[in-house]
Amino acid sequence: MATIGGVTAFLLTLAGAALAVGLELLEAMAIVLAVGSTRRPRDAVIGAAGAVALLALAVVVVGPLVLARLPLEPLQVVIGTALLLFGLEWLRKGVLRLAGARAPSSSLQEYLDEREAMEALPPPEPGQPDWPARIVAGKGVLLEGLEVVLIVAALGAGPEGLAPAIAGAGVAVLFVIALGFVLHRPLARLPESHLKYAVGVVLSSFGVFFLGEGLGVHWPGDDVALLYIAVAFVAAAHTQVAAVAARHAEAPA
Amino acid sequence: MRALRKLVLGETWTLPLGVFLTLALALVLDAVAGSTSLWRHAGGFLLLACVLVALAVSLAPAWRRAPRR
Repeated sequence: MATIGGVTAFLLTLAGAALAVGLELLEAMAIVLAVGSTRRPRDAVIGAAGAVALLALAVVVVGPLVLARLPLEPLQVVIGTALLLFGLEWLRKGVLRLAGARAPSSSLQEYLDEREAMEALPPPEPGQPDWPARIVAGKGVLLEGLEVVLIVAALGAGPEGLAPAIAGAGVAVLFVIALGFVLHRPLARLPESHLKYAVGVVLSSFGVFFLGEGLGVHWPGDDVALLYIAVAFVAAAHTQVAAVAARHAEAPA
Repeated sequence: MRALRKLVLGETWTLPLGVFLTLALALVLDAVAGSTSLWRHAGGFLLLACVLVALAVSLAPAWRRAPRR
């Protein structure tokens, strides 16, 4: 039972981290590519690199301080709450998208919108730094990256430690960077809405699991509980998808 | 700040409110009945139920409001 639980937790952490990080990075890449293709690529890269440096600094400075000062159980409550805040929001949007009540998630559309916004700005002066390009690229990477850092750190506090979270994140980083180099634009046919729905299920499941553990609750089956919690979320979310889709199908033409 | 608030709390107040109410209820129950077998064995399922209710409440506007076409 312990081995099955360990493998379940490891695989769910790995898959959750890879999907969440991959999807967040696709959004960040869409912004950087849009800025780089409409302005000077060098300024887009400088803005993105500045954001990555800020995030790395935050991880190096804040991470050890938090881990050293907070005992395990309060830390699990904080992490569980944070994962629930992220996971349930992803799941809510996923339900609305799958029910047709919200536009599908598309990094390609984000790329096209960002290109349009950047083209409306006056062109950069030769020889001068392009601050609008740097700020837009930096802000995009900073906000998406902050979510990546929080999700990886939270999943890394799980029963299997940081290894599966970092491995999943590493795979996602390599995949997205390779995609950016090869295509120079986001993928058009990636089922982003379905993938985000799956990430919502995984993050919410870990959130409830950690919150319970932090409050001294015993989950029957220990780590296997992640599976039946995830099944409960899928069942509830599918019921919601059906209800919202039926309501929208009733709408007058 | 608006982007950061949206990042942490999302687009709706009902979900963060539901999560914090669940947390508050769990902390109260833990303080009152934390040492009992009932809380240790059933507390997790209560948390799960509260979170599922929060998700359902956050989606309630979408059940009620059909889109204009």
